[in-house]
Amino acid sequence: MIWHIVKKLGLYFWRNPQQLFLFLALPIILIMILGAALGSNFNSESSLITLKVAFIEHEDSNEQMVAFLQDIQDEVPDEALQAIESSLPSMEPIQIITSVFDNEEVNEFLQVDYVDPSERDVVMNDDSYTAIIEVPNNFTYNVLHTMVFGNNDAPTLSVTYNEEEQFGSTIVNNFLSDIQEQLTKGSYLGKNGIDLSTVEIEEIKTETISLNEKNPISASAYYTIGMIVMNVLFLAGAVSYYAFYEKELKVFNRIILAGVSRWTYFSGILISGTLYAFLQSCIIFLFSKVFYGINWPNIIDFLIVTIAFSFAVGGLAVLLSAINYRLNSETITSFFMNIVVTILAVIGGSFYPIGDFVPLIQTISNMTPNGAGLTAYLSLLRGDGLAAVSDNLLFLGLFGVVMVVIAALCFPKRGVSA
Amino acid sequence: MIELIDLTKKFKQNFAVKNLNMFIEKGEIVGLLGPNGAGKSTAISMLSSLVEPTSGDVQFENKSILKNPSSFRKIVGMVPQEIALYEDLTAEENLQFFGRIYQLRGKKLSKKVDEVLEQIGLTDRRKDIVKKFSGGMKRRLNIGVAMLHDPEMLIMDEPTVGIDPQSRNYILDTVKRLNAERQMTVLYTSHYMEEVEFLCDRIYIMDKGNLIAAGTKEEIKQIISSEKTVSIKAEILKHDFIQALEENPLINRVTVGEKEVTILVPKDANVFSEVIKLAETNGMELTSVDNKTPTLEDVFLHLTGRALRD
Ligand SMILES: Nc1ncnc2c1ncn2[C@@H]1O[C@H](COP(=O)(O)OP(=O)(O)OP(=O)(O)O)[C@@H](O)[C@H]1O
Ligand SMILES: [Mg+2]
Repeated sequence: MIWHIVKKLGLYFWRNPQQLFLFLALPIILIMILGAALGSNFNSESSLITLKVAFIEHEDSNEQMVAFLQDIQDEVPDEALQAIESSLPSMEPIQIITSVFDNEEVNEFLQVDYVDPSERDVVMNDDSYTAIIEVPNNFTYNVLHTMVFGNNDAPTLSVTYNEEEQFGSTIVNNFLSDIQEQLTKGSYLGKNGIDLSTVEIEEIKTETISLNEKNPISASAYYTIGMIVMNVLFLAGAVSYYAFYEKELKVFNRIILAGVSRWTYFSGILISGTLYAFLQSCIIFLFSKVFYGINWPNIIDFLIVTIAFSFAVGGLAVLLSAINYRLNSETITSFFMNIVVTILAVIGGSFYPIGDFVPLIQTISNMTPNGAGLTAYLSLLRGDGLAAVSDNLLFLGLFGVVMVVIAALCFPKRGVSA
Repeated sequence: MIELIDLTKKFKQNFAVKNLNMFIEKGEIVGLLGPNGAGKSTAISMLSSLVEPTSGDVQFENKSILKNPSSFRKIVGMVPQEIALYEDLTAEENLQFFGRIYQLRGKKLSKKVDEVLEQIGLTDRRKDIVKKFSGGMKRRLNIGVAMLHDPEMLIMDEPTVGIDPQSRNYILDTVKRLNAERQMTVLYTSHYMEEVEFLCDRIYIMDKGNLIAAGTKEEIKQIISSEKTVSIKAEILKHDFIQALEENPLINRVTVGEKEVTILVPKDANVFSEVIKLAETNGMELTSVDNKTPTLEDVFLHLTGRALRD
């Protein structure tokens, strides 16, 4: 019985091209527009965007370290010299840089090729590199000098960006400025007479992880998911419009006269909302996989989050329907479609990651169905497991249940036509 | 079989239906006649337990259906005034869906769907989407849906509104046939008195929420039995002649048509010689003078002073 109620709504959607357009084509178009706006890297085919960087060291850094130690022998007291000598391995700037690049998580999307200076011209003409980082002559020597004495001009790496890959270039640039910060921190410490051996690589590692967390690579995925969770909300509105249309058409009367309990009908709406939200999400995600390479590390986890999110949307659909039936008007649905969805989309972070900077806002954001969905999807995309998104799942489930309960209280018990 | 007792429905301050008393016996076709806004649909909605009455009761086999409508709902088929169909589904899909909610399934369902399609004459359009149907075809399907579960009683709310005469005759014949072949009880609502006259054994007439007449066709026409209608036809109607009719003390009402004058006179009055005499004095040639059988329209006119339809 419930299945027949669900099925005819499916037929209705299927036979109304404008509905299909609204639910499938429109979000896809929105994603495509965003894709174009975010640049070509949005369209990368790999799982996460892979950036290729060439690293050219023009002079051996070990030789420079030896030279450095020799040169300062006369300038610093013996004790200091020993301290510097012992911490030198951890201070070596190239090491610091490459340790960031060689980090496992960074390696997932950043591929660094260590290139011999003789091949520089080849690499320069290779479009597949996002950036070419060159370590000039005397770089190590100069950096060490700056770190210890702090009085030289900071030595610079030479970076050549591929102009056609602005998006990737920005990311590499971010990396480098973070590394630079690490290096200057070292010089600051040295200047203030603190033992250099306390500046540990450890610190740089933490920095690397946080770099990964703010992973700008998610921009494509972020907006795609943001658009999807927003657009699926519209489905709740559409289902409730349809339910009210059934009442106005008096087919609801026919259903009641046939002895179908109104709770069966009510469940039909809930299941319709959930099922079609699920299908809609899956279809658009499939599109984003094929065209934007958004792949899910674990498909089961992905489906579980999608089911939880769809259930929340189903709950919304049934609540809107119940209020429409109660008020005998569809104003609530119109209000929802025209205003509430937009507000939810903004709070939920579909347009802009508003929660990134203020934890409180992130908390509020996760209290919207779309925000919770977005957060959960992003976690999964980062490779987290279900445990990491259990809060979001719990919220989505609870949200759905609360909607259903309120809806059940609102749904008129008798005399619907009056 | 079913009885309405002092049934009343108030919307805010207005009585849509006021103290309505009605009964319908098994196998009857009962007409409910009344102009727009008379309260017919409201009465039917209360009867079919879709609208809760403000006061009064509806009894099915001497048990109130207000608290427990399911036994009555099972045996009743409702044809709403609105076209209550899914426009995006085909005729067949509509019938299948509604059949399914009446617990029909499998072979039984498809057999019933075929049968109903045959009855409403839509077998060759079964695969077409309802949206593309003409008004008459939609009306027929609207009726078909109500017959899927073989109801003992059919309640039809203005089932012929806005359709072509052919579809209309088809529907009227179908109703007559269902009643004759299956002893189906029918409550037929309309504001077309000729439909009700054609179909119904007994008639209720409502106006502005009130029942103004009830009984068999003959009984109702007896209401105006103290008068009779006489039709006078002529090629040219002279003004002086009409004036003379109006001034005649025997004649109660004069209605002038194009080549016809109808007059209302006391039943036992012999006006023929009088009319012929008046025509002669005014130099007019009459084509005919006839006694007319009164219609329900005449009854309604008599009771309310207004025509049933504008
Ligand atoms: N839900 C409602 N709320 C307020 N007033 C109503 C409602 N339904 C009907 N009415 C009023 O009750 C009166 C009777 O309406 P009803 O629909 O029963 O008439 P009807 O005889 O079926 O007319 P029609 O031939 O136009 O269908 C009308 O004055 C109408 O405005
Ligand atoms: Mg009506």
